[in-house]
Amino acid sequence: MSQNERVQEELEALEAILMDDISIIYNDQGCAELVKSTIFPSTANEVEKQYVCVTLEVQLPENYPDCKPLIKLKSPRGLDDSTVDHLYREIDKKCEEYIGQAVIYELIELIRENLTESNLPTCQCAVCLYGFSEGDCFTKTQCFHYFHNYCLAKHLIVTEKHYHEEQEKLPAWKRSTEGFQATCPVCREPISCDVHDLRSSLPPKELENAQKFELTHELKLLQENMQKLFSYQKSKGGIIDIEAEENKLLLITNSSDDPSDENSDDPGPSIPTNITEGSLENGLLKNQRCFNRFTNNR
Amino acid sequence: MAALPRRIIKETQRLMQEPVPGISAVPDDSNARYFHVIVTGPEDSPFEGGLFKLELFLPEDYPMSAPKVRFITKIYHPNIDRLGRICLDILKDKWSPALQIRTVLLSIQALLSAPNPDDPLANDVAELWKVNESEAIRNAKEWTRKYAMDN
Ligand SMILES: [Zn+2]
Ligand SMILES: [Zn+2]
Repeated sequence: MSQNERVQEELEALEAILMDDISIIYNDQGCAELVKSTIFPSTANEVEKQYVCVTLEVQLPENYPDCKPLIKLKSPRGLDDSTVDHLYREIDKKCEEYIGQAVIYELIELIRENLTESNLPTCQCAVCLYGFSEGDCFTKTQCFHYFHNYCLAKHLIVTEKHYHEEQEKLPAWKRSTEGFQATCPVCREPISCDVHDLRSSLPPKELENAQKFELTHELKLLQENMQKLFSYQKSKGGIIDIEAEENKLLLITNSSDDPSDENSDDPGPSIPTNITEGSLENGLLKNQRCFNRFTNNR
Repeated sequence: MAALPRRIIKETQRLMQEPVPGISAVPDDSNARYFHVIVTGPEDSPFEGGLFKLELFLPEDYPMSAPKVRFITKIYHPNIDRLGRICLDILKDKWSPALQIRTVLLSIQALLSAPNPDDPLANDVAELWKVNESEAIRNAKEWTRKYAMDN
């Protein structure tokens, strides 16, 4: 069999197996020059579970397959540099091993296996801020956001609990009849997930192995500058005196018709008297003790 | 104290490595859930030139619950009361675990640029802001100059 016939046979076989997934470019003499194929991980044809891909370009020198073809990996998606480097090394080994034989299909399979192993989104989970490692259970929402199952379950459990707590506070006629609707933490689109399924997943691996917190020299300097500013503003009367303000608040609430408790020339704000516990949710009253401790021991 | 969740460590590191312009947040020596914060008054706002100290506390179930934030430096603003408490939806019912310390502080900075007297926490400030905006802005500038400056 002539050289060209061997190549021709290989390419025909490839076209028969891969059909539209492969393209072959011929030169002016009608010899195959370049073979291209975009490779995805095997996910039993579930396209929405393919998070990575790469395009393989095989350049066929004149005396291929008696020499190694030239390989390029183009447009890698969802793969970091080290994964791509690793792929190149594996490919070179395979080509070495297959000198004198058809290698392109072997390469495609090799790449597909590797992609299947690293078929993970490269973004971070917005809840824990860590990435997705092999073995992590994660969910892609209908709105294309990725979360570890563990993290998403926590979010769903807490938001559902908050929802019911808020409903409890409302008079019966004001309560929602629609029930709890889970939403995506990133875009707030409604999502449907089975919390019981999700919550059985283990915490993400990167989260478990992350480094510990250390107070650096840089941090210390920043703390000192903050402290200086605080002292300066305090000396100018610019720091809110929580205790004094709270006493004023009590006065205002006790005698709503006496606004004359102002003891300075401040045109300042006073706490509205009709404020409810609920509307103060973001206020720090609940944590006041903790904050006073911090503000006092400066 | 229980070990600090990794997410808090990661946020802290990122705040140090890629600080947000006009905002600094530093964890406390003795409690890494407590942050000392400085927000600079945005340009072209009555708070321009001011350095506002805030305190931010990450509750036990953060990021499932919103951080608790309040101004320490006095500020004349319709959505911030005398105790420094802030009226901001993402700190209440619009909280999402996808938000972070940096996004919260950016929202607070944005609130300084765009006071919203229709959603007041400090009623008399909001009232003045509505009926006599120029006087309210004068007051805000005056408070900024008086209380929020560095030496
Ligand atoms: Zn996560
Ligand atoms: Zn989403």
